[in-house]
Amino acid sequence: MSAGAGRLAGAANRIITRGFDGRWDELESMPLPDAAAVLVRDNHDAARAVWAAATADSEVLVASRTRVTPDLADDLRGAGLAIVDGDDVATPTTERDATPGRVWLLTSGSTGRPKQVAHTLESLTTVAGDQPRRTWLCPYAHGAYAWWQVVTLSIAHPGQDVLFIEPDELDTWPARALEVGVTAASGTPTFWRQALYRDPESVAALPLEQVTLGGEPVDQAILTRLTEMFPKARVSWIYASSEAGATIAVHDGRAGFPEQWLGREMEGRATLTIDDGELLIASPKRGEGIDQVLRTGDRVEVADGRVLITGRIASDEINVGGAKASASAVRDVLQAHPAVAWASVRGRKAPIVGSIVTAEVVLSGEATDAELTAWCAARLPDYSVPRRVRFLDQIPIKETLKSDV
Amino acid sequence: MSALSRDAIRTMMAEVLQAQGKSMPADDSANLEEIGFRSLDFSELALRVEDEIGDELNFDAPELRQIATISDVLDFLEQLQAA
Repeated sequence: MSAGAGRLAGAANRIITRGFDGRWDELESMPLPDAAAVLVRDNHDAARAVWAAATADSEVLVASRTRVTPDLADDLRGAGLAIVDGDDVATPTTERDATPGRVWLLTSGSTGRPKQVAHTLESLTTVAGDQPRRTWLCPYAHGAYAWWQVVTLSIAHPGQDVLFIEPDELDTWPARALEVGVTAASGTPTFWRQALYRDPESVAALPLEQVTLGGEPVDQAILTRLTEMFPKARVSWIYASSEAGATIAVHDGRAGFPEQWLGREMEGRATLTIDDGELLIASPKRGEGIDQVLRTGDRVEVADGRVLITGRIASDEINVGGAKASASAVRDVLQAHPAVAWASVRGRKAPIVGSIVTAEVVLSGEATDAELTAWCAARLPDYSVPRRVRFLDQIPIKETLKSDV
Repeated sequence: MSALSRDAIRTMMAEVLQAQGKSMPADDSANLEEIGFRSLDFSELALRVEDEIGDELNFDAPELRQIATISDVLDFLEQLQAA
């Protein structure tokens, strides 16, 4: 089946949410105003909203109820969207004509109140051509860019079924995925680390053919772990954001992307460049109104022919007495330790040197504070070695499936 | 939380050195440079003290110029808690 078979060519695909197991076109209808922000309780609500908007070609924003604060709701009404919350509908405070087919996404809001980014189902559909039949696991937050990628894949391509899981199912999803027959799963590195930490045997039992990571910097340790666990699967990482769209897809099981991709201009593909250590992207899949060349705010470094995306520029640098430690580099070293399931690194204000490097760590094996310090000291300059290590008993994970942002 | 005793600070200082693969001599007159106790180590020790007493220690680098021995470190942190 080709992508040109119609934008709703996946109408007969099976989707499974809590309380629903059927086809997209069997979902109970949801009457929506022509331009609506739908606040959803779960993936069942979200799928109904998507299908209603897709079939009516209306304008829609889908977001978890917990994400939309009263201030944000006022902003959305001011932008011409009705707020649909269950049976309650708050009319827009600005009158305007709806834009058929418009899909709004909210940015992560990590640097302030979430902003709206304009897409369409077509701009969100980043997979083209024939696709092998798969049943996907979708653990992402309702309405997030990665969530939409799985949703649009299923709507546009026959043979792409989806099992949606809710935030409160993050501990139990492997059993459900096995029961449903999930063969492809997409999640953040934190999502995968948590799954492998909590229940590696159940995860390993899944007959996965495709494993996808995105949403956070993807390090070699987690790619290697997943490649070894699923030797028959394609392990991919994707770089995507609401603003830039999906711009980088790497399938060779290695962290970073080939240096030769820098500056390459190809029809339909993003052009990637580096300026002062920051990744710049010119993407055909970007949201409307987004700069043609987008400054991503993500730090990159080139090593051994690969371009590694290490973390956010704004939060990565820790100034230790004038020396600059990279939080992401330290995190990667810790996460490469065989007994470390997860690590987070940040600076802490300290007398004399200004800041020192501190770490939070979740262990999957045996290791002491001193052993981790020695491991880091053998691989990092002394000012980068964490001086305070705090051990947690579980991996912190937010609804975004991220732990740092 | 109450102030830490000189002995407790000394134990913490030994832990900081041990984490760096160094040892704490028994003699408090030992020179900091000779035992490899540097400004980063001093910062870590100060944070350990802060964590223990639940309060921030405020001091400037110039105040540290006279500190040359283990005994000086212990005096300084002892007095700082009392300030």
